Amino acid sequence: MENRKGVILNIGPVHPATHGVLRLIADLEGDTIENIKVDIGFLHRGKEKLAEMRYFSNYYPIVDKLDYVSALQMEILFGSVVEKAAGITLPPRAVYIRMIMAEIQRIMSHLVFIGSFGMDVGNYTGFIWAFREREELMTIVESVSGGRLAPMYICNGGTFYDLPENFNQALTPVLDDIEKKINKDYRALFNDNNIFVMRTKGVGVINKSTVIENGITGPNMRAAGIKRDLRRDEPYLAYESMDFEIPTEESGDSYSRFIIRIKEIIESIKIIRQALKNIPTGPYKTSVPWLLKIPEKQTFVRQEVSKGEMAMYMVTNGGLTPYRLKIRSPTFFSLKMLEKILKGSKIADIVAVVASLDPVMGEVDR
Amino acid sequence: MTSELVEKLKSGLKGNITVISDDGVNDVVVLSDKKLIKSAAELIKGTHDILFMLTIVDRNPNFELNYLFSNYRNKNIIILRVNITQDDYKIDTVSKVFPSADWEEREAYDLFGIEFKGHPDLRRILLPEDWPGHPLRKDFEVTDDVRNWTGLDLKF
Repeated sequence: MENRKGVILNIGPVHPATHGVLRLIADLEGDTIENIKVDIGFLHRGKEKLAEMRYFSNYYPIVDKLDYVSALQMEILFGSVVEKAAGITLPPRAVYIRMIMAEIQRIMSHLVFIGSFGMDVGNYTGFIWAFREREELMTIVESVSGGRLAPMYICNGGTFYDLPENFNQALTPVLDDIEKKINKDYRALFNDNNIFVMRTKGVGVINKSTVIENGITGPNMRAAGIKRDLRRDEPYLAYESMDFEIPTEESGDSYSRFIIRIKEIIESIKIIRQALKNIPTGPYKTSVPWLLKIPEKQTFVRQEVSKGEMAMYMVTNGGLTPYRLKIRSPTFFSLKMLEKILKGSKIADIVAVVASLDPVMGEVDR
Repeated sequence: MTSELVEKLKSGLKGNITVISDDGVNDVVVLSDKKLIKSAAELIKGTHDILFMLTIVDRNPNFELNYLFSNYRNKNIIILRVNITQDDYKIDTVSKVFPSADWEEREAYDLFGIEFKGHPDLRRILLPEDWPGHPLRKDFEVTDDVRNWTGLDLKF
């Protein structure tokens, strides 16, 4: 750095384009990034420590705020860990309810991604449209659980309530509507939009070897051409009996990361339709005591959430609370990559690349 | 598949391991000495791609480190367990072998105060640089230092 006339540019932690509280420190030479550092931790709330102070049934409101755009998937993950550790089997209807809610939440999370990505590259209409579609699903989630962003719907042994009576009739037109809009309106707004394609194509390429080296999972990995999805490779809930595709792209740039999410929405809609057709009747939960005691053991569960492979590792010692709960965040591994892939690119691309990774800082900082 | 790897570890590390298979998780390999971690990681590198997660359990006064390795081709995982005792909370880094371990080790250093020898950039990651103590340790107490922490001394 001797005779350089470069500039250090601090972006964040409260810059609106950094999706929450991500801080980037860029070392610029003209318009080009020479070096960039990622600083996280501004939303650290000590959730792993809080788990050690709470009963197994009282931790659900806390996991809700882990990844706050896909809260139901966080609840399902924590529920699965506790149930696996305590040896609780779910009634078949609860399994299907959970799967339907997880897929609804995946669509909602991907719609948030589409919206905020659109806004970050200057497509404000995309933001409004995506949130309009999300609102319809939000109303469904509200009618099921009573909550919108943090539903508090899953409990040990099933769900808190059964699905409402007219759930099927309410959900079907919404799904049809979203599918139609994705295939027609969104295509016009994003895929056929030259400005959008120029801003994203070939920007922030993550190739296959980088993905494998750094442990990136989820849509960001599938955009680089690796066909892997825990819903298919390590089926949980009732995904085994569902018929769906795993979309992949080859180029690994921001544009393909966007296309992957669009395709995944279509696949999620497919899963929900099949699940609604086959949902069994019967109880929606088994009765589990409110205070659980889990013997000394270590439990590991991983699931495919909207951001990638999320996992929890719970250590119990026979008490009423976990002895230790470690949460593996998929975006934690993707963000590390920013230092590598942003080097040498232009400053205007920072926003597009960061948004294409879909970071939600609540889950990164825990 | 995994059992092959266990055999490989057994011969490679001259039998300094114990295998627990029924632990609620897949194969758990316990290393008898923390010095073996680097050579064990190198043996695992062939069959597993990434350090999926690093879970540290505070067994006061010792620490138990669970390295969970995963790969992209199938669903196999393997857990490597190492205990470090109170004489020094130090262990060799595996981030040279598995680059995905970089931030996981920084997090462990931040929240538990375990030092990873040879790590390229061992700084705090989630907490501020001048935070007093390591909060995920069982003996962490909210002292006056914590209560009066303002963050104003940080260089921005």
